[in-house]
Amino acid sequence: MRKILVVEDEPVLRETYELILSTQPFTVHTAENGEVALEKCSQNEYDMILLDLMMPIVNGVDFLKRFMPDAPDQTRVIIMSNLSAGAELDAAMQLGAIQSVLKASLGPKDLIALVRYDLGTM
Amino acid sequence: MILSLSKSLTTLQQSHNKALVELENYKLLVDSIEDYAIFLLDPNGIVMSWNKGAERNKGYKSSEIIGKHFSIFYTQQDVDAQKPQKELEIAQRIGRIEDEDWRVRKNGSRFWANVIITALRNPSGELVGFAKVTRNLTDRKRQEDELRKANMQLRKQQQELQRLNDSKNEFISLASHQLRTPATITKQLLGVLLAGYSDKLTPAQTTFIQKAQSSNERQIFIVNSLLEVAQLDAGKVVLHKTMADLKKMVSDVIDEQSEIIHRRKQTVSLRAAANVPKVAIDTKYFRMAIENIIDNASKYTHESGTIKVSIKLVAGVVVIGITDNGVGIAAADIDSLFKKFNRIPNELSEHVSGSGLGLYWVRKVIELHGGTITVKSRPHRGTTFTISVPVES
Repeated sequence: MRKILVVEDEPVLRETYELILSTQPFTVHTAENGEVALEKCSQNEYDMILLDLMMPIVNGVDFLKRFMPDAPDQTRVIIMSNLSAGAELDAAMQLGAIQSVLKASLGPKDLIALVRYDLGTM
Repeated sequence: MILSLSKSLTTLQQSHNKALVELENYKLLVDSIEDYAIFLLDPNGIVMSWNKGAERNKGYKSSEIIGKHFSIFYTQQDVDAQKPQKELEIAQRIGRIEDEDWRVRKNGSRFWANVIITALRNPSGELVGFAKVTRNLTDRKRQEDELRKANMQLRKQQQELQRLNDSKNEFISLASHQLRTPATITKQLLGVLLAGYSDKLTPAQTTFIQKAQSSNERQIFIVNSLLEVAQLDAGKVVLHKTMADLKKMVSDVIDEQSEIIHRRKQTVSLRAAANVPKVAIDTKYFRMAIENIIDNASKYTHESGTIKVSIKLVAGVVVIGITDNGVGIAAADIDSLFKKFNRIPNELSEHVSGSGLGLYWVRKVIELHGGTITVKSRPHRGTTFTISVPVES
């Protein structure tokens, strides 16, 4: 089964994303910031990481800087942020994220469609 | 012989009288001038004559000043620096000297003066004295100083305004990002409820949640609009231009909106000329602008109304016309149409959701492309928006 890591500091959002994605045939893990995400990545190989950018302790861009150099080939990173522009977003795309999505534009069905489409299980 | 002598004497007398009259006239000329101090100095700088202008400018009566050294008119600093003598030396050497500086009156007060000292030489070239002409420029200087101060003030105000504008844009961006988070959370939770992840909903519950969802979408829309406008205002929007087929773009936008348009029982048609070339535009932004206008056309038109879209090439400019037969806009409201937060109340506007930012944003985007957007309208008859974009930017 595909493994997805949801990295999001906002607790309600994190739990809701987990709830939504769990209705699908995925194993869903969560992390509340970049540091926890790095820990989880050292113990698991994920097919997809949904990554928020603005987080405490270790933010999205710093996570990518540390994770991407040795990332498994199959891991695809999608930026989920409410930033529509800016240096952080540019940096994240430069570091190897596949695409960026505006959180505020995704409802539950959209989120599922996004993940399933990208993982090729549509 | 006595006759010729007396004739010579008479001629001499006549010349003498003529000279006297001339002299009197010159004295009158110089003396009467009130605006300029015009007076003579001897070769050492002693004041030899005086006029009304001098009395007015410097305060001394002629009896008080004739025989005194002209350095009395200079400030103490200038006297200590030997400026009076230096000026005479230069005038003597070069012929004249002009200076603008402070001078001192009889009562000790200062005035800003323009001073010209001219060396006077007799026919043999000997220095016989100096002519001094002084003009009081205090008023002019004061005006210049005030202008300079006003200028600096204006520049400071301008900088402050720029700073405030930047501040405002930053604040709007920050607030909008912050507002997106709770709006996103609400969106997810409402979506989860409606999708049945929790218990099955009653019809009433479903209706309530749908209304909440609609409101939440509106929140998100407004926040997005605010952010887009703030970015535009801050000059942060960078267009990424590619050659685009505008006919296809407009056609795609119409297709996307056709469901809603048909639900309103409206018809939409597109007439595109064959010779419209590709244009260099930022497809993302330009598309949003077109969507906005067509969306407006539909929203502000009654059911069964018609929307006509045309695209043609006129003298190197692609002209897109969007015409509806809807509620129209009153002439008085047209001026403020493209302003921020402007929403014109009309019979349909209560049912229309919007932030009032759309047309402001649309115009800015079109203008960034080097184009224009204009509007013509008649209340109750309809409205035409015309977007023109040059093929060559």
